[in-house]
Amino acid sequence: MKVSLSWLKKYVDICVPVEELCDKMVMAGFEVEEIVNLGENMKNVVVGKVVKMERHPDSDHMFICQIDCGQDELVQIVTGAQNVNEGDLVPAALHDSYLPNGMHIKKGKLRGVPSNGMLCSGEELCLTEADYPGASVYGIMILKPDAGVPGTDMKEVLGLEDYIIDFKITANRPDCQSVLGIAREAAVVLGKEFLEPKPCYKEVGEDISDYITVENRNLELCPRYHGRIIKNVKIGESPEWMKQCLIAAGMRPISNIVDITNFVMLETGQPMHAFDLRDVAEHKIIVRNAEEGEKITTLDEKEHELSPEMLVIADGKEPSCLAGIMGGLNSEIKDDTTTIFLECAKFRRDSVRKTARKLGVRTESSGRFERGVDIITVKYAMDRALQLIEELGAGEVVSGEVDLNAGLPEKRDLKVAVDDVNALLGLTIPAERMVEILNSLQIDTVLNNGVLECKVPSFRDDVEGRADIAEEVMRIFGYDHIIGSTMKGSIVRGRKLPERIKADGIKAQLLSNGFNEITTYSFIGSKAIDALRLTDDDARRNAVTILNPLGDEYSTMRTQLTTSMLTVLGTNYSRKNADAKLFELSKVFIPKALPVSEQPLEVPALILGMYGAEVDFFALKGIVELIVSSFTNRPYTVEVANEPYLHPGRSAVMKLGNDTVATFGEVHPAVAADYGIDDRCYIAEIAIDKLYTLETPRVTYKPLPKFPAVERDLALICDIDTPAGALDKAIRDGAGRLCEKVELFDIYTGSQIAEGKKSMAYRVTLRSAESTLNDEMIDNAVSKIMKKLAAVGAALRM
Amino acid sequence: MKQKLEELKVLALAAVAEAKDEKQIDEIRVKYLGKKGELTAILKQMGSLSPEERPVMGQLVNSAKAELEEAIAKASKNFKEKAAEERLKAETIDVTLPSKPATVGKLHPLNTVLNDMIDIFQSMGFDVVDGPEVETDFYNFEALNVPADHPARDMQDTFYLAENLLLRTQTSAAQIRTMENRKPPIKIICPGRVYRADEVDATHSPVFHQIEGLVVDKNITMCDLKGVLEQFAHEIYGKDTEVKFRPSFFPFTEPSVEVDVTCSECKGKGCRVCKGSGWIEILGAGMVHPRVLKACGIDPEEYTGFAFGIGLDRLTTTRYKISDIRLLFENDLRFLKQF
Repeated sequence: MKVSLSWLKKYVDICVPVEELCDKMVMAGFEVEEIVNLGENMKNVVVGKVVKMERHPDSDHMFICQIDCGQDELVQIVTGAQNVNEGDLVPAALHDSYLPNGMHIKKGKLRGVPSNGMLCSGEELCLTEADYPGASVYGIMILKPDAGVPGTDMKEVLGLEDYIIDFKITANRPDCQSVLGIAREAAVVLGKEFLEPKPCYKEVGEDISDYITVENRNLELCPRYHGRIIKNVKIGESPEWMKQCLIAAGMRPISNIVDITNFVMLETGQPMHAFDLRDVAEHKIIVRNAEEGEKITTLDEKEHELSPEMLVIADGKEPSCLAGIMGGLNSEIKDDTTTIFLECAKFRRDSVRKTARKLGVRTESSGRFERGVDIITVKYAMDRALQLIEELGAGEVVSGEVDLNAGLPEKRDLKVAVDDVNALLGLTIPAERMVEILNSLQIDTVLNNGVLECKVPSFRDDVEGRADIAEEVMRIFGYDHIIGSTMKGSIVRGRKLPERIKADGIKAQLLSNGFNEITTYSFIGSKAIDALRLTDDDARRNAVTILNPLGDEYSTMRTQLTTSMLTVLGTNYSRKNADAKLFELSKVFIPKALPVSEQPLEVPALILGMYGAEVDFFALKGIVELIVSSFTNRPYTVEVANEPYLHPGRSAVMKLGNDTVATFGEVHPAVAADYGIDDRCYIAEIAIDKLYTLETPRVTYKPLPKFPAVERDLALICDIDTPAGALDKAIRDGAGRLCEKVELFDIYTGSQIAEGKKSMAYRVTLRSAESTLNDEMIDNAVSKIMKKLAAVGAALRM
Repeated sequence: MKQKLEELKVLALAAVAEAKDEKQIDEIRVKYLGKKGELTAILKQMGSLSPEERPVMGQLVNSAKAELEEAIAKASKNFKEKAAEERLKAETIDVTLPSKPATVGKLHPLNTVLNDMIDIFQSMGFDVVDGPEVETDFYNFEALNVPADHPARDMQDTFYLAENLLLRTQTSAAQIRTMENRKPPIKIICPGRVYRADEVDATHSPVFHQIEGLVVDKNITMCDLKGVLEQFAHEIYGKDTEVKFRPSFFPFTEPSVEVDVTCSECKGKGCRVCKGSGWIEILGAGMVHPRVLKACGIDPEEYTGFAFGIGLDRLTTTRYKISDIRLLFENDLRFLKQF
C-alpha cells in the first residue's frame, strides 16, 4: 500500500521525520518496504518569471533572458528554446542546482554571454504530460500562470516535497489497505488525534427511484449493495491535489468522476464503480449470477465468457460489470456523461477471488475485495464520494438511496480478563494502559472488575479473543517489553526418532569412508526416468505428478534417487572433478494408486554414486557390505542383478533372505553416456527402509581365542563360471564351527589349466574354542570341506 | 699358566679394542670365550692343578673372563648404537614432501547447520520429530487457521498434486500432527523439506528447508518464547546477540512476530548485509492461535503455547556467506568439500 506523507498528514498531525514515523509503524506491525523521497534528485530549481528577452548577439537561435527568481536582482539565463515568451513562468535551475535526470547545473558562459543557470524542459525534470501539462512539449516547460510566485521551489509546484511510503499490509488487516486505515494507526503510534473526514453534502431533490430500479438477487455473494444517482454531471479534470494523491499511489488520473471513485477507494479501502445511466438498459441494475455462456467486454476491451458461479452487475439486458473486479465497456463514464449511477458494495471475497482467477483479471478493486472490505465502510465511502463530487462541482446528488443488504452488524461485544492477557504475554501491563490502547484503536473498551469489555468495530473482524486483544495491546505497548524467560516445568532430554539416529549413524560411516553428502530436489522431469531404460510396466514409472509445476523439469515426484545421483555425477564429471564419491539419504514418493487421491508413501532411500581412479565394483561392494552389516548380523547373499541401467556383467543385488536390500554395480555405459560420463561410474541403491526395520544387533563380548589356529591352503579347480560365492559358502559349510576365516588369495586361468576351468586358491583358517586342533580333527574338517566343494563341482588341483 | 692367562687377556682386550665392527667382535668372542675358545681351554685345564692352586687360579680365570666379557659387551653395544645411528641417518626423508592425504567426506552444509540446530534444541529438551512432505489441505492450511477463501493462502504459492493433496508449504503442518498424537506438555522441533512455487534464482528455490518448533503446556508465555529464541540465537550467533520482536501476521499464531537478531556481520552497527539496520530477520514466531489448539483437541483455556519456524537454507547461506542458494542443490564437489 503506497501512501504519500502529505496525504497522511491530512488526517494526522505528523510532526516527526518520516524515518521516525516509519520505525514506529514497523514496530506496530506495518512493515515498510520502501520510502521514496520524491524531490530527492531535484535541488535549487525554482519558479522563474521571464521579465525580458533579447537575441544573443552571436547566435541565431539563442536568447538572453532576465528571469525574476524572487531574488533582489534578476538572474540572467541564456536559453536555446524557441517557445518562451516574456511574462511566462518557467522552471529555472539556478547556479549549483541538481536535476532529476542527474544534471548538475553551474553558471558559465554561452558563446561569451554569462548564463547563471538553465531553463528546464519537462524531460529534464523527468516529467510526463500526466505529471504536468506541457511537460512533453519540445522546449521549455511553461508553467500555469497560477503555479506560484517567482522563487517558489519547483518541488512544491510539482508536489515533490513529499515522500511515498510503501507499507506491507498483512493479510489480517484489510482495513489498512487504505490511507485512513494507515492514518488511524499512525495517529495511535504518534499519540495524536485521528482527524477522520466527516462527509456531508446537499441533496437536490427528486428521488433515486425516478431514475433506476435495483435488485440484489444474491445477498450471499453480495451482502451489501449501495447506490446513488448523480445528475448534471460535468466531466472534467480533477484538481492538482487529487491528481498528486493518485499518482503517488501509482494510479493514473482520468477524469473527475473516475478519479473520485479511485481516490475514495484509496482513502477508505472501499472500491466503487460509476455507470453512465444512459447505457444502463431499462434503467435497471440487477446483482445476479451470470448465465452460462454470457459474455462481457470489460473496460480494458477484453471479452470474457462467463459461467454461472460468477457474480455480475447486469442491466435489463446483459452483464454490465464483473462484480468487484472491473466495469463493462458498455457503461463506462464518457466525456459527455450527464447522469451516473454510483455503486458501492461488499462482495464476498472468495467469490471475487475465484472469478478474478478464472478470468485472469486482477485489479486494485478485486485485490481489495479478495482481502475483504468492511460492510459498514460501504456507506461511509459513498458519502465521502458524494461530498467530493459536490466539492469539486462534478455533479448534483439526487435524493434517496439504494441499500440492499442482508443485515448490518452492530459492534461486537468481547470480554477478556486483564489477567488472561498478561498471562499469555508473561507481563503485568496495567489495565488502564490496555483500555487506553484499545480505545485509541477504535475498539471501545471499558474496564469492569478486571475485565476488558470491548466493542469491536466491524472493520476489525480479525479481533476475536484474548490472543487478538493481547496482540493489539502488545504492538502498541511495545514488544521491547517482552523479556526472555525460562520455561517452567521438569527438565527433560529431547529425543530423536530412531530412524534419525540410524540415519546419522549411516552418514557417519559414509563420511568416514570419504563419501560426500549431496542434496537434490524431490521432483524431477517427467521424462527423466526414461534414461534408466525401464520397461513400460516398471513400478518406478508410477509417479505422483504436480498439477501446477514450475516447468516439466520439476513436474514429477521421484520414485528413485538414481536419476538425481546420475545428474550430479554428470555435473561433477563435466566440471572435471577427478574423483567423486557421493551419497544422498532422502525420500522417494510411492503412490498407493494413480491418479493420487491420498498421501503417497514417503519411503526413505539411500543412494551412493562414484567414479574415478580409486573406485571399482569391489570398492562399492565393500561399502554396501559395511552398511548392511551395520544393521544386522544376518548372512546375506549376493546375486547377479538384472537392471537395464546397470552393466549386465558388473552389477549385483544383495539379499537378506528374500528381501533385496541393495542393488549396486557399474552404470551401463550407454546410460552413463547419456549423463555425459565417459568413464566407468558406479551406483548403489540401498533399501534403507528395510534396513531400518531390522533389529539392531546387540553387541556381546566374545572371549579372545585361547587355542591356536591352523591354516590350510586349498588350490581348487572348477568350471570357469562357478561363482566364488558358491565355493566360499561350501568351504564355510564344510568347516562348520571350526571355520574362522576363508580368504581367496589367487585366481588363475591359462595354459596350466584345462580349457573352461579356473584355479581358485583359498586359505582357510580353522580354530576350535575348546582345544588345540590335532591332525585328525583338521583332516576330518578338510575332508568335509572337500565333500561340500565336490557338490559344487570343485576339486583339489593336482 | 698364570702368565699364559695374563698374556691371553692382554691379547684379547687388545683385539677387542682394535675390532672394526660387530662381526669382528663376534669372532673375538668365539676365539676366546666360545666352547673351544682359548680362555675356555684354560678353564678346562684347571683339573690338572693342585687343590691349593685351584681356587686361586679359578678366581683369576673368572675375573679375566668377566673383564673380557664386559669389554666385548661394551664394544658390541657401541657398534650396535653406531649402526642404528647410521641407519637412521640413511633413512632421512624430506618432511616437507606432500602427504598421502587421509580423506573424509563432508556432510552437506544444510545438514551441518541442521545438526547444530538439533543439538541446541535437543539440549533444551525438544524432541525431534518428522512429518510427511505431501500433505492434505487440512494439515497444511485448514487446521492452521487458513480456511479456503483466506487471503493468507496467497502468501504462499502452493504445488498441488490433487484437489486435496499438496506439497507442504511450511513445516507448521507437523504442528497439527504432533498435537493430534501427543498430549501436552509438548516440546518438539520438526525439521524438513518444504515447497513453494517460486521460480529458481539466487535467493529463491522451489524446494527449501524449515525447522518448526512447538511448545504447548500450561502457563506458557510470550516471554518464554523469547527466552528460547534468545538461547538459540546465543548458541548460533554468539553470546552478545540481541533478539528483537516485531509484530507480524501468521494465521496460526496470535500474537505473531518476526524475530530479528543483531547483525552478526557488523554487530548491530549497520552494514551491507543488514541493509544498514543492524538487524537481520531470522524467523517468524508467535503464540499458538487458540483456534489451532482447539482444532487439535487441546483446550485453549487450559493450555497455551508458542511456535516458530526457522528457514534453514537462509541460515546456511548467511553462516557460510554463500551468495547463491542454487549452489546448495548443484552439489559441485569443489563446493561440497569446503564445509
